Amino acid sequence: MKATWKLADGSEITADIANGTNMMQAAVDNNVPGVIGECGGCLSCATCHVYVDAPWVGKTGTADDFEDAMLDVAEAERTDASRLSCQIEASDALDGLVLIVPQP
Amino acid sequence: MTVWTPTDDGHADLTSHDTFATGAPHNTFKRLRDEDPVSWTDWDQGEGFWSITRHQDITEMNRNFAVFSSARGIRMEDQSYEEYLARRTFQEIDPPEHMLTRIKVAKAFSKPVVAGFEQDLRDLSNQILDVALSETEFDATKVIARQLPMLMLGRILGTPEKDLPWLVEKGDALIANTDPDFTDHVLDKMTTDEFRMMPFNSPAGAELFQYAKELMAHKNATGDTDGVLHLILQPDKEDNVISEEEFRNFFCLLVAAGNDTTRYSIAAGIQAMAHQPELLTQMQQGGDDLWELAPDEIIRWATPALYFRRTLTQDFEAHGRQMKEGDKALFWWSSANRDDAVFDDPFRVDLMRSPNKHMSFGQSGPHVCLGMWLARLEVRVLFQELCKRLKKIEPNGEHKFLRSNFVGGIKELPVRVQLQ
Repeated sequence: MKATWKLADGSEITADIANGTNMMQAAVDNNVPGVIGECGGCLSCATCHVYVDAPWVGKTGTADDFEDAMLDVAEAERTDASRLSCQIEASDALDGLVLIVPQP
Repeated sequence: MTVWTPTDDGHADLTSHDTFATGAPHNTFKRLRDEDPVSWTDWDQGEGFWSITRHQDITEMNRNFAVFSSARGIRMEDQSYEEYLARRTFQEIDPPEHMLTRIKVAKAFSKPVVAGFEQDLRDLSNQILDVALSETEFDATKVIARQLPMLMLGRILGTPEKDLPWLVEKGDALIANTDPDFTDHVLDKMTTDEFRMMPFNSPAGAELFQYAKELMAHKNATGDTDGVLHLILQPDKEDNVISEEEFRNFFCLLVAAGNDTTRYSIAAGIQAMAHQPELLTQMQQGGDDLWELAPDEIIRWATPALYFRRTLTQDFEAHGRQMKEGDKALFWWSSANRDDAVFDDPFRVDLMRSPNKHMSFGQSGPHVCLGMWLARLEVRVLFQELCKRLKKIEPNGEHKFLRSNFVGGIKELPVRVQLQ
């Protein structure tokens, strides 16, 4: 699938992602600044916080209880579109996914 | 010029605390990374263990907590199940149970909350430097590095200021329990079982237990919400309340982990400044970009937690080695942080190193350091204030390392300074 990250400076990064890869790892592999993933996708750090672009919010699922709690720990303000990107898995259904990287 | 060069013969005994009293055996780690990245060590004091030394392997295994479990202890030493249960903190509990505690305390240590301490830290740093720099020759670990984390920890925990020196002394004895400079009960030379149910096997653990119990009772009785301790005493969404034992173990963990790791990061940074004179100039000229990166490089250089252990829950093969269920595997952060497959010129401190995928905080796994934002902030603020005042800093004799294969730290750091 293809995914695009919109960065705070207005630029974009688009990449091909293998199905099954989590979107934090995909961001790190593609050097997306602002998505760090300190805990390797284990839900322990909230440094992979992104906003899911509006058209994709319903398709990326919802945060479970632990993710929900950890979203309160993220650096940038939390919104209804907030997710920890390590919990979003690449799949054909998400082809074209757009994620917005929060302003630091 | 490099800051420090390892002197071991490439075949150091990793089980020996004495090995580390002259610094981590990086020639041995280099050989292991090159020749034997999943290496078995026999041990006459307990079960042998695997050493994992490459950055990439540790990264992959650390996130694989289903196989590499923390729930049998995180140090080399063996524990019975009873000891484990009595002494465990959430550091020794795997997800998902780990998360139950983490979500209770994570907010208090989050980047935005911690950022609120910056001015406090700056004031404390200047207070410490006013005293320290009244001399031109001093032990920088003692008069600078040891002071700031102690004072800050008290603010974070909400403990009375008068208790801080006592707490730090006990925290030292708890963690540095193999160095006779810090405890009368040197762990590997003890002949008694008296303390084996206590945190870190230490009588200091017993005293901290008692202190934590009284502090908790006092805070409960008076509704004291200073610091973060009250946050973990709150019932969660399902009305579960942390048990007395869990609380006391967590308290000991904060005293130990929030204290000496930052201390030895600061010490290692000062050691680097004394040996690599360009660092002072870079810091003095540094803008936001430098100060965003420099703390992580100082913390990479320091690597205060030398390793954490995991225990295999099933057989696992790596690099042709057959690790078996129940085997212990040590993730040597210390080795990963000098892995030249990841870091160019790893023995040079490069304040602008980017990316800097160091593993000092146990990155890439569920147990990534809860206090990492606080540690980075403490290091940044202390060095920002220190560099402003200095014209020159140089070694004034040999520095001395802790006698411990678990905590890497410079316990004595004689320096000479000239002020601006």
